[in-house]
Amino acid sequence: MAKLIAFCLKFILLCGVAEAVFEDQVGKFDWKQQYVGKVRFAHYDTQTQSSKKVFAATEQNVFAALNTRTGEPLWRHVDKSGPEGNIDALLFHGQDAVVVVGNGRLLRSWETNVGGLNWEIVLDSGSFQSANFVGQHDSVKYVAVLKKSTVSLHYLSNGHQKWLENLPESETVEYQTVYSNGNSDVYVLGVVPNSHITVVVYSVEDGEIIQQVTVQAPWLSDLQASCAVVSDGILMCADSGTESLYMLDLHMQTYAQMTQVTLQSLGLEMSPGFHPRLVSTQPNSARPPLSEFFLQIGPDHHLLLQLNNREIVNLRDFKPAMLVSFATTGEKTVAAVMSPKNQTACSLNLFSAESGRRLLDTTLIFNLDPSGGKPEELFVQAFLKKDDSVGYKVMVQTEDHTLTFIQQPGRVMWTREEALADVVTMEMVDLPLTGTQAELEGEFGKKADGLFSMVLKRLSSQLILLQAWISHLWKLFYDARKPRSQVKNDVTIENLSRDEFNLQKMMVMVTASGKLFGIDSKTGSILWRHYLDNVPSNAAFQLMVQRTTAHFPHPPQCTLLIKDKDTGLTSLHVFNPIFGKKSHITPPTLPQPILQSVLLPLMDQDYAKVLLLVDDQYKVFAFPSTKNVLQQLQEMASSIFFYLVDSSQGRLSGYRLRTDLSTELIWDVVLPTEVQKIVTVKGKRPNEHVHSQGRVMGDRSVLYKYLNPNLLAVVTESTDTHQERSFVGIMLVDGVTGRIIHEAVQRKAKGPVHVVHSENWVVYEYWSTKSRRNEFSVLELYEGMELYNSTVFSSLDRPHAPQVLQQSYIFPSSISTMEATLTEKGITSRHLLVGLPSGGILSLPKMFLDPRRPEIVTEQSREENLIPYAPELLIRTEWFVNYNQSITRVRGIHTAPSGLESTCLVVAYGLDIYQTRVYPSKQFDVLKDDYDYMLISSVLFALFFATMISKRLAEVKLLNRAWR
Amino acid sequence: MASPGGQGGGGGALSTRGGGVGARRMKWALELSMGNTRTRGDRQGGQGDVVYPIGYSEKPVPDTSIQETDKNLVEKRCWDVALGPLKQIPMNLFIMYMSGNTISIFPIMMVCMMAWRPIQALMSMSATFKVLESSSQQWLQGLVYLVGNLLGSALAIYKCQSMGLLPTHSSDWLAFIGPPQRMEIMGGGMVL
Repeated sequence: MAKLIAFCLKFILLCGVAEAVFEDQVGKFDWKQQYVGKVRFAHYDTQTQSSKKVFAATEQNVFAALNTRTGEPLWRHVDKSGPEGNIDALLFHGQDAVVVVGNGRLLRSWETNVGGLNWEIVLDSGSFQSANFVGQHDSVKYVAVLKKSTVSLHYLSNGHQKWLENLPESETVEYQTVYSNGNSDVYVLGVVPNSHITVVVYSVEDGEIIQQVTVQAPWLSDLQASCAVVSDGILMCADSGTESLYMLDLHMQTYAQMTQVTLQSLGLEMSPGFHPRLVSTQPNSARPPLSEFFLQIGPDHHLLLQLNNREIVNLRDFKPAMLVSFATTGEKTVAAVMSPKNQTACSLNLFSAESGRRLLDTTLIFNLDPSGGKPEELFVQAFLKKDDSVGYKVMVQTEDHTLTFIQQPGRVMWTREEALADVVTMEMVDLPLTGTQAELEGEFGKKADGLFSMVLKRLSSQLILLQAWISHLWKLFYDARKPRSQVKNDVTIENLSRDEFNLQKMMVMVTASGKLFGIDSKTGSILWRHYLDNVPSNAAFQLMVQRTTAHFPHPPQCTLLIKDKDTGLTSLHVFNPIFGKKSHITPPTLPQPILQSVLLPLMDQDYAKVLLLVDDQYKVFAFPSTKNVLQQLQEMASSIFFYLVDSSQGRLSGYRLRTDLSTELIWDVVLPTEVQKIVTVKGKRPNEHVHSQGRVMGDRSVLYKYLNPNLLAVVTESTDTHQERSFVGIMLVDGVTGRIIHEAVQRKAKGPVHVVHSENWVVYEYWSTKSRRNEFSVLELYEGMELYNSTVFSSLDRPHAPQVLQQSYIFPSSISTMEATLTEKGITSRHLLVGLPSGGILSLPKMFLDPRRPEIVTEQSREENLIPYAPELLIRTEWFVNYNQSITRVRGIHTAPSGLESTCLVVAYGLDIYQTRVYPSKQFDVLKDDYDYMLISSVLFALFFATMISKRLAEVKLLNRAWR
Repeated sequence: MASPGGQGGGGGALSTRGGGVGARRMKWALELSMGNTRTRGDRQGGQGDVVYPIGYSEKPVPDTSIQETDKNLVEKRCWDVALGPLKQIPMNLFIMYMSGNTISIFPIMMVCMMAWRPIQALMSMSATFKVLESSSQQWLQGLVYLVGNLLGSALAIYKCQSMGLLPTHSSDWLAFIGPPQRMEIMGGGMVL
C-alpha cells in the first residue's frame, strides 16, 4: 500500500519541474528592495551641472550613490556592521570621496563616478576625532586626520602618509577639531573642559609645530558642539551660560583673550535651557570659510549672522524656522530655511547668504505626511539656472528615516523609506476577501429570518457573484487585447483582495525606528505606513495577530507590544493590519513593566484571540478583558501555563494561572550564570501543522514522533570563552512541567548559535573551536514503536521518556540566520532556509539533516530512502532560492504558509528585503507553466469524436451483418 | 424451409396469385419439399419430380440414443471444467515468479489479472453449475472448481502481499492518525 503511494509519488516526481528558476522566471514570483539606512552625511555631485547623483553615508555603515531622478541606488558599498564599519567622516573633493571608517581604523578614497575604490590605508590606532582637507596654494592636496593623541597628514592622490605627529599634552587636552584655510598651516584645536583652549599650529611641509598657544575659556566644555571656524580663521564659540558669543583669531601671533559679544548687544535673547549651535560653511577647502554663519538660539529660532571686520552683523532673523542649511553653486552661496506653514505643510525658502535677502521664486512647499515624522535634516542642492538665478532641489530626512526628494515648486520626485533597512519583526496576514465574497460569507453570519427571505438573499448574492465574474472576464478579455506593457496592475488598498491560492498576503513590518509598514507581498509596494512617534530607541517589540481576516465583518486586528528596555514601561498599539489604521479599541494602560505576553488560542465573542500580559509582579492582564473572556479564563485557568526565562539570572521558571488571574510558580530551573548563560529559547510555532505522526521504517513498521507542543529548546553558551574550555549546551525542557527531556553539550564549541525547533526535531549551528569549522547538529525525538496516547497530548501524563537521536555535520560556511519552511497542512517535506553572510539564501532539505542517516547502507535504509551519512553538507548552487539577488546583511527570514500545500512564502530581511516562494517538494499540486493545454484538449476532443464516429460505424456494420 | 424473396414461377406450391404470371415476383412462397423443380442439379436428373412427404429428410438421422461411452465423455468434460482453475495455478506460479516483486506497470497488470479471473469465476458460479448439471458428480466437481478458484485468488493475495500491496502494516494506517489534542495551553519566552 505504502509502496503503491510511493510509486505514484515517484511517478509524479519524475514528471516534476526543475529545481532552480528558469531565466524567464526571474522576478516573476520574487522581488528585492535595496535600502541604505538613515543618512548621516550626504553630498551632491557638483562636478557637472546635469549630474544626478547624491552620495550618502548612513548609520547602517553604507556608502551609496543615489540617482536623484528615481531614488534608486546607482552603487552601494556595505561595510561591516557595528562600530567596526562605522563611517566617521565623509569629505568630498572633486570626484573623490574620502571616508574615515571604524573609529579611525581605515582611510578610504572612493571614485564617485562608478563607485570604485581609489585607495585604502590602515591608520594607526587611536580614537578618531576629526578629519579635514588641507589646501595649499588654492588646491587641495592633503587630508588631515586628527586622533586622540596624534595628527597625521595624507596625500589625497594615493593616501600615503606625509607625516604623523604626536600631540602635546594629549593626556589632558581633548583635541577635537582640525582646520586649514589654504595657507601652509594646519590648526589643531583642543580643549581642556572648563579651563582653556589649546591651539597647535603645524607646518604642512614637515609637521613641525610652529606655534602653540593656550587661551582661557572656563565656560567651554566641548569644541565640536558649540564652536565653528568662520571667516578667515576666526574661532566662534557660543555659550549659553553667559548668553554670548566668543571670538578668537587663530592667525594672531599671541592670543590674549577671547572677545566676548553678548547676545543682548545684538538685541537677541536665548531660549532658556537651550544649547546654542553654530553652522558655518566652507565651500572650497583651499579657501577660508565664509564669513556668514547660522546661530541657533532656540528650538525654532535661527539667525543668519555675518562677521564683518570683527563685528557681528545680524543679517536676518528666522523665527519660526525648523531647519537651516547652506548650499553653494559656483560662486554663490545660499541659505535654505525651512519654516512651518501650517499643520500639514512646511515651506522652504532660499536667502542670499551675503545679504540675507530672500531670493524670488524660491518657495517650495513640503507636505508633511500625516503618518510620518517631523523633518530632521535638509540636504540642499543648489544650481544656477540659465538666467543666472539660483534654483534648488532638496532632500529632506524626517524622524521616521524617510528620505523625500523635492523639486521646485514642491513636486515630490521620490521617497525612500529607509526605516525598512532595520526591520525588527514581521507577520504575514491574509488579505480580506473581495466585497462580493465577503457578502456571501456574511450571509451565513447573519441570523436566519425566514425561509423566503433567505432564499432571496442567496439568489441576490449569487447574482452579484455572477455579475462580478462576468465583469472580471470582460476585464481579462479587454486587457488581453492591449499590449503587455500597458496593462498596469497597480495594487492599492481599495482593490486588495485574496487571490485564489492565497499567495498574496500583507506583510506587516515593524522597524526599529517605530515605523510600521504594510507591504503587498506580490509586488513589494508599500500600501500603508504608520509612524509611532514615541518609540524609544532601544525598545523591544512583539507583534501578535489577534484576529485574522477570516471573521468578517469583524476587522482583522494586530497588536504591537512596545517595551522601553530602560524604564520598563510598556505600551500596546492595536491596529488593523490591512489598512494600518489604529483600532478604535483602547488598549489597557499598563502601569507595571510587562515581562512577557502569551497569545492564547481562546477567542472572545468577537473572535479576537486573548492576549495575556504578565507583569513584573507575576500578575496577569487579559486583553481584551470582557466578561466573556474572564469567564473563559476562569474555566480554563488550570490548563494555562507560561514560562519566563531570565537570562541575566540564568533562571527558567514555569507558572500556572489561577482563577483570580494571579499565578503560582510550579517549576524553576537555575543555570548558574558563572558557568553558562542562556542565549535563546525556542518553542514551536503555534501555526505549525504536522501531518504525519510517525516515520515509516524499512520493515514497514512505524516509528512514532514525539510531538510535544510544549517542548522548549534552551541554548546556553559558556561564559568562559577560552577555546579549550568553551562549550555550547542545548536543553529540551517541557514548558508545562519543567521536566528536562534531553540535554546535550557540544564541547570546544562556541556561538553564535542559530536554532530551529519544529515538529520533533531541533537543528542548531555553532562554531567548533576544536576543528575550526561551522557545524550543524540535529536532534530528533521519537516516542518509539507505539504511541502512548494517540488522541490527546498532556505533558502531565507522559511516563516514558522519548528516544533521542543526534547527528552532526560540517557546513562549509558560517550562517547569518536560519528558519524552516512552513506549509498549510504540513504534508510537504521541510527545508531549512539558511541565510549566508554572502547574501545567499540556501534551501537545505531537512532530509540531509536526519540523525537516522546510516553509516552502512542496508536494504532497510535504502527502502526508507535514507541518504548514507557523509560528514560534509555541500552547498549546491541550485539550492539558492535567490539566484543572483544577494541579500545584504540578512538578519531574519520569515516563512508563512500559502493556500497551496506545495508553496511556502519566504521573506528575508536585513539591509535589503527579499520576497519569494519556495516549493520544498516541487509544485506537485500545480500544473506546470508550460503545460500543453492545447495538445491535451485537442487529443481529448479527437478521441471523443473518434469514439462517436466509430460507435456509429460499428452500429451500421452490425445492422448490415444482421441483414445478411 | 422458406426462402423469402425466392424466384417466382414454379408449381407445386402455394401461391397468392395464380401461377399464370410467370414473370411476376411473388410476395412469398412456401415450398414443402426439398427437391424443388427449380433447384436444378444432380438431384433433378436422378429423382425427377419426386415429391417427398412433409418432414422427410434424405440424410440419415444419427443414432442419438445415449450410450455408456457418451456418459463417460460428459463426465470427463465436466471434470475438465472443474479442474480448469487448478490447472492454471502452476502457470500462475510461473508468471508470479517471472514478474518479480518490484512495483511497475506490468507486474501490477499481472496481479490484477490473476486476482480478477478467480473472482469473475466465483461470481459466475451458478452458470458453471448449470454446465455441470449433467454430471453425476456435480457437487464434487463444483467443490473442486470452487477450491481451485479460491486457491487462485489466495495466490493472487499472496502475490499482493509479497509485493507489499496489502495494508497489513501499521505504517499503512499512519495517514489516518490525526494530531493529538492539546490538553495544556502554554506560552512565554525570554523576559523582554
